[in-house]
Amino acid sequence: MKNPYYPIDTVVEDVITETPTIKTFVLKPVRPIKFKAGQFMQLTVPGVGEAPFTPSSDPNITERMEITILRTGKVTEALHDLGPGAKVGLRGPFGKGYPLDKLVGKDVLVVGGGVGLAPMRALLYALFADPSKYKKIVIKFGAREPAELSFRRQYDEWRGLAGNISLQTTIDVPHPDWTGHVGLVTTLLEKGKLEGIDISDGFALSCGPEIMLKFVTLKLLEIGYKPPQIYLSMNRKMSCGMGKCGRCNVGHYYLCVDGPDMCYDKIKHVPNVFG
Amino acid sequence: MQFIDSTNFERLLKKLSGEGELFVPVTEEDTGKLHIERVDAFPLPDGMSLEGYRTVETLKGFAQLLRSTVAEYPAEELDELEAGENAPSFIIVGARACDIAAMGLVDKVQIEGDFEDPFYRIRREKMFTIAADCTDCGESCFCNLVGRKPWPEKGYDLTVSKVDAGYLVEAGSERGEKVISENGDLFTAPRDGQEKSRDEARMKVVAKLKENNKDFPDAAKMTEPLREALTEGLWEEESARCVECGACTNICPTCYCFLLFDIADGEKFRRVMSWDSCQVTGYARMAGMGNPRPRLSDRVKHRYYHKYDYLPLSHGEIFCTGCGRCIDTCSAGIDMRAVFRNVMSKAAK
Repeated sequence: MKNPYYPIDTVVEDVITETPTIKTFVLKPVRPIKFKAGQFMQLTVPGVGEAPFTPSSDPNITERMEITILRTGKVTEALHDLGPGAKVGLRGPFGKGYPLDKLVGKDVLVVGGGVGLAPMRALLYALFADPSKYKKIVIKFGAREPAELSFRRQYDEWRGLAGNISLQTTIDVPHPDWTGHVGLVTTLLEKGKLEGIDISDGFALSCGPEIMLKFVTLKLLEIGYKPPQIYLSMNRKMSCGMGKCGRCNVGHYYLCVDGPDMCYDKIKHVPNVFG
Repeated sequence: MQFIDSTNFERLLKKLSGEGELFVPVTEEDTGKLHIERVDAFPLPDGMSLEGYRTVETLKGFAQLLRSTVAEYPAEELDELEAGENAPSFIIVGARACDIAAMGLVDKVQIEGDFEDPFYRIRREKMFTIAADCTDCGESCFCNLVGRKPWPEKGYDLTVSKVDAGYLVEAGSERGEKVISENGDLFTAPRDGQEKSRDEARMKVVAKLKENNKDFPDAAKMTEPLREALTEGLWEEESARCVECGACTNICPTCYCFLLFDIADGEKFRRVMSWDSCQVTGYARMAGMGNPRPRLSDRVKHRYYHKYDYLPLSHGEIFCTGCGRCIDTCSAGIDMRAVFRNVMSKAAK
């Protein structure tokens, strides 16, 4: 019988610095790990602890997994000190993942902010496996400043993958090195800036800090999205990943089994849903 | 249904004690309360009693240890589980309806669904429970308010009801039936009137529960006000006296929340599972200090929502069996039944 609390032995193969505070860890588990975009892993730093992260890598690749992590707490600080060759552990995958089946034939709006771009990249890889399955793929990424936009080395490549893909970025405040759009990511969601997507026949998916999710949701509702068309990657403290330890609830849902990507229609009635 | 006299009942327990550790309710002299005690030698302890109502302790600690190692790294994956499989079985005597039902509720979370906790399941399977009717109720008992009865209806291996100088016995599982059939010489057919006398005794306890709780509403009525968010503002008042000690969740037979954390030991580490309490500040706090329930009133509110709204939605039942231990243990004197009443009166406004 498997012990669900024991992690799969994993080696850090490479560490890519994305931003001053975000690194991508290229991980090689001793046995392949199959996951769906949006599902999450519990990553163990031996002797320090465990924390939940959604992989940022292509779900079709199971031998290696990339996880993009913001330095923000005890486990992530220890992680950021690790280099190639370090031993870590992985449990999972947990959660439901993004509703990819629902997106087929639809206009897909992807809104990411800060480290929230990490799970969005796994979603994009899943969409990019066959972009023709979707009407339009419109991507809006925001960060505080230019250096904090993760994966920027890949943006042009993604834009060139297919004619129905667009990607626009913004930074929160003006910066001398930046000639692009300035303003919160919600300012990219004005109706005229959405590449003519059909809001009535589309889905919007978003991941980022809770305060961003709140204002993105309000903006999406304002421009005509209905709650069932909005998916949000929610954040709560997690421990077991299996719906047993009790702490990651949003209303009566446990994010670890019912999310972490939740349809807004299911959670819109929860008081203080955005904290 | 069978009858067993007290002498033969002790013989039965002695025999069963050869198959695992035997636990019985024993009366504490000063308080008259029952505590679960392990029987290491026979005869049974003087204060052992199957009368009265539930013990001070719950059963959950038999299946979900207060603190336990669930993984050691690096190690073979099966080690800790094998250790659990080799652990002794428990024969638990005198478990009351509220505690038997509570284990059934926690089973829904820890065993049923897409994942199971194998540690919990292994220990759970090692529990052989001999339940007992309540012959009385405490001031804090309120099983009648959560739609339950002071005698167990399912979830036990054997259940006993005190009559005359012995017990009426019923089996509630195959293991229980096997114990009766293998020890047929210890049992006799019930005498005329014994079942009637059991039923009368049960009704007396029901009547006392009703009388004790006549000023409080049924818990099931709370679901709608909670779901319709009609209780805003109430929780600041309810939590004003709470000292955030977590005793209510620790003593609750259905509170199952736990935390996993790692303890380093040189190159190795142990992963430890520990009971946790949603009432304390850091329970849901994330890295970066985000906390969905930063105020004590949020956390007190959460406890009621979890038991009376969220779990009924996700698992189909109210996660409270009315044992009343949270009332007994609260150093601030918070009474769950009074909270029910206040919820109803808030909703009525």
